[in-house]
Amino acid sequence: METETTRQPRILVFACRWCGLIGADGAGKNRIALPSNFRIIPVECAAYVEPDAIIRALASGIDGTIVMGCHVGGCRFNDANHAAIKRLELLKELLDATGVGRDRLLISFGTAHEDHQFAEVIRDYFDTVAALPPLEPWVSTLTMKHLSRS
Amino acid sequence: MADITVYLCKCFGEIAATVDLEIVRAGLGDNPSVSSAEIVDSLCLNRDLETMAHQIREGVTQKVLIAACSSLARGDRIVRGLVHRGVRRTDIHLVDIREGCAWIHAGDPDGATGKAERLIDMGLAHLENVQTSDDVSVKINNEVMVIGAGPAGLAAATSLARSGITVHVIERAPHPGGMLRLVSRLYPKDSAASSRLEPYLDELERNPLITVYPRAKLQSIRGYTGNYKIRLSSGDDEHNLSPGAVIIASGAKVLLPDGLFRYGEVANVISQMELETRFRKGAVATKNAVFIQCVGARCQDRPYCSTICCPASIKNAARLKAENPVANVFVIHRDIMMPGSVLEGYYRHVMAQGVRFIRCEKDRPPEIIGTDRIEAVSVYDAVTGSTRTIDADLAVLSTPLIPNDDNRRIAELLGLQLDRYGFFREIYPMHPVETRMDGVFICGSARWPVSSDVAITQGEAAAMKAAALLARSQAAASDFSRVPGRKFGHARVNVETCSGCGNCMAVCPFDAIRLQKVEGKYSHVSRVNKMRCKACGNCVSVCPNGTMQMPEHNYLSVGEMIRRAF
Amino acid sequence: MMVQNNEKNPVLVVGGGVAGIIAAFDLAEMGRTVHLVDSAPLLGGQVAKLDKIYPTDHCAFCPLWTDIKKVQEHHRVIVHTTSKVTDITQDADGYNVVIVCDPPAIDESLCIFCGRCVDTCTKGAVRPLWAHAYPPAYFIDRQLCAECGDCVDVCPTEAINLNRTEVELFLAVDEVIWATGFKEADLSTLPEFGMGTHPDVMTSLEFEEWIAEAGVNKGTITRKVNGAVPKNIAFIQCVGARDQRMLPYCSAVCCMHALKQAQWVKRRNPLIDCTILYTDLRTVGRGYNEYSLRELHESAITFIRGRPGLIHPLPTGDAIAIKYENTLTQTREIAKFDMVVLNGNLQTSPARKAADSQHIPPLNGEGFVDTMQDEIPRYACGFNLEPADIAESVIQASSAAMKVTIKEELQK
Repeated sequence: METETTRQPRILVFACRWCGLIGADGAGKNRIALPSNFRIIPVECAAYVEPDAIIRALASGIDGTIVMGCHVGGCRFNDANHAAIKRLELLKELLDATGVGRDRLLISFGTAHEDHQFAEVIRDYFDTVAALPPLEPWVSTLTMKHLSRS
Repeated sequence: MADITVYLCKCFGEIAATVDLEIVRAGLGDNPSVSSAEIVDSLCLNRDLETMAHQIREGVTQKVLIAACSSLARGDRIVRGLVHRGVRRTDIHLVDIREGCAWIHAGDPDGATGKAERLIDMGLAHLENVQTSDDVSVKINNEVMVIGAGPAGLAAATSLARSGITVHVIERAPHPGGMLRLVSRLYPKDSAASSRLEPYLDELERNPLITVYPRAKLQSIRGYTGNYKIRLSSGDDEHNLSPGAVIIASGAKVLLPDGLFRYGEVANVISQMELETRFRKGAVATKNAVFIQCVGARCQDRPYCSTICCPASIKNAARLKAENPVANVFVIHRDIMMPGSVLEGYYRHVMAQGVRFIRCEKDRPPEIIGTDRIEAVSVYDAVTGSTRTIDADLAVLSTPLIPNDDNRRIAELLGLQLDRYGFFREIYPMHPVETRMDGVFICGSARWPVSSDVAITQGEAAAMKAAALLARSQAAASDFSRVPGRKFGHARVNVETCSGCGNCMAVCPFDAIRLQKVEGKYSHVSRVNKMRCKACGNCVSVCPNGTMQMPEHNYLSVGEMIRRAF
Repeated sequence: MMVQNNEKNPVLVVGGGVAGIIAAFDLAEMGRTVHLVDSAPLLGGQVAKLDKIYPTDHCAFCPLWTDIKKVQEHHRVIVHTTSKVTDITQDADGYNVVIVCDPPAIDESLCIFCGRCVDTCTKGAVRPLWAHAYPPAYFIDRQLCAECGDCVDVCPTEAINLNRTEVELFLAVDEVIWATGFKEADLSTLPEFGMGTHPDVMTSLEFEEWIAEAGVNKGTITRKVNGAVPKNIAFIQCVGARDQRMLPYCSAVCCMHALKQAQWVKRRNPLIDCTILYTDLRTVGRGYNEYSLRELHESAITFIRGRPGLIHPLPTGDAIAIKYENTLTQTREIAKFDMVVLNGNLQTSPARKAADSQHIPPLNGEGFVDTMQDEIPRYACGFNLEPADIAESVIQASSAAMKVTIKEELQK
């Protein structure tokens, strides 16, 4: 089994269907080669991304998370992303305060909407997370039970 | 329960070249919710859609997971094709294993195959847990209320009435007309404002579908798109209206140049509106007239350009010159804001008539010289680089339009937003007469300063949007989704667990949430207006205890997706 | 080919840009059949091809996209892309129109974007429609195509047919809304602006394409002549416009457009100096004046009030000299720039391919649609009516649609 220190970082991306996914789609159309160890969960708006979801992700063995949304002024849900940005910045403070570290969450609003931009964000973040010390798995079985119905 | 069919698309080899679909299918065999998994060459051609829809209708399966290209490529076509053929939208889930997997990991087939397995498993997690928001249907009343009987409101009302819609025009003044009653003549044809107004007034009289409520005051507005319930008073009478849509055409007011350029101190330093009033009474005599632009506009307090001041001054300068051929008429400006064909042409025409233009600088504004009455204007002429003193017996201060004081109240009553100055906010860029509230439209200077001609065009545009809404006798909340064609959804409250904290209400960009008293609970409980909610997700993210959920993207679904991601 | 008239009170909208799309959608919502015609393979017109729009820094295609989809999916709108109106006559009932469609060799409803045709083509004739076309499809440039047919053989969905011929459609419609937008006018009659003398003297739309994030340079700013980063860029306003020799009117959108481009240049590379040579800085419109006041970097954009007398590359071929009078300092100057962007020469796009004897639509002296010639109402919006930005064009479109809707009432 891979040890925590040798395996490729696991990155989870929450991408809004607009700025985020358009960039990802562009990277796909242009067949830009990227490391495979990331997953995208599409959301209608970055405002959907609960801080809770980020925390659960980090608690379940994911090393880094990215939230991709639209630039300020560009949200088609009447600036719903403004509240999202503030919330996520606050979450970064919380991650710092609890020793998890703010680098476990990358906020990318309006910086990944083109193919090459998306690729750069992903590649750079893999480097960033790889350089971080491994997260101690502090998931208890009780927490895992809450995460699924089974 | 094994009720999900999985379709794995080879995409004519585009996906199959990198992702080993046989391995993926084999892996799905262990999954208890999958009833069957099929590998196909393609899924997006019409014959494929027919086959899939047929299988879904005939088979035991309820839900379908499609692993193919991205929704931005052909995926959307597949989903729409299935919905068209009778499959429920929330029973379909698209997983992108082409742009999102095969095409970006071509050099790593093992990694790509593993990722495809995980992505599909996450998709299954979604389908296992997805719930469906209930839609709601509303009747659309075939009536419109227009707030304001100025050029914008009149144009809107007459357009609507002519298309067969009953219109209620409320106006706070005793008479309709708005700005057209206050200005003397209109550019560029120098026609009388009254001649522009008269046909609309005739229509108000003649057309039985239009009712005007003068001296009106709005008391309350309740309801939602299609069915607003409005109480208003008109003079001493009370009225109840139930329009399906509301058009705001309440205009704007002119800033009085108090404290600027010695207005009020020195005689014959007047505002543009005072000049209009003088013109309405007859010719205005002058030997030396000076117009000063951007008074109280394009400055620290009000950084915007009010659009109409340059055309208004130029029109009035031309008139003064025409009425006083030997007079010197100057326009002191910082830029001549006359864009387009008609305005630029008018500017050239007025220049040719002998009106003179002096460009000054923002930091060196002109000065009014005179003790009791104006005698001259001193100005640094930026183009000649010298200070000039111009004899003047009349100075006209061109001030901007500013929002009406009651915009705030109207905005509160209707749930609208105002911009930082107080004008009504629109949906930028393609829906400039529409607001965050479906069924409420804005036009004319209530939206942003415009001339009466442009206000008329905007009134017609707002009428068009209102008529298009009223063209259906009923609509569903899903018809007003911000992204038509996407899965419709709206936030749902768990009444049991809601603590009434109000976080959701505070953060909602569509003002869709209210706290309500509920029988048997000590705390208030949130209630989501299904018509207003656009499913942005903010309320879910700020809810402290998971009370607020988006059924299509709920806590269990997200949790399970995260758990199965790696 | 005759299109059957069991269509409900059909209207023709000529032009599928922002204005045409909105007019078509509004009319369709009122229950009318709408034929929406555009000469390009995609809807969206000029705005869809822009990199960014002002004053909110949106990417241009994204806000348009929802409306493009709505109109494409509306059951009462029939979209005719790669089509032009070649003839139009008017009679008592309405208009008789001839539309010629030049179907693309690759059927976009079958293209899965696999790209095998691109890989097979030895002439480089196959390319994507444009970066932000959704769904994406490939397009064959018939000028470069050698008609070898190799692409036809490799296409897995049989989407390619090199033998598609033009199709003529005859339509009878109740009314027409003109919305063909604008194009850049030829500047060869004004040689002092230096068009064509140096690769780095270009029009505003050429510059937009050159610096586009989705374009060949991925948003980086470089000189066309040698690929180096420019030290400075000059934006020249009113080129060909407000000019009695060419276009006497003001094109309305160029001041904001230059401001937008200059701000984006500074955002992407703050070290590039940007200078705007203007006459009046027309920032009329919601949020526009505030936009012009934004300072994105310590070194702000330089504004010089003046029109160049001459733009000419230096004999060394390196930089481009601009000779102008700075009217606010009353000095004549010659300055060197690495790139020059010419802004202003916008005129209406031709409304129909062939001229016709009935002069439909009638145009006024400045080339815009005359909406009341001979007391016959004509309906136009966007640049066909007046130089206009997106908001104005779209408002005019809805207004035109409203007038068409109540036409019979208006004529009483």
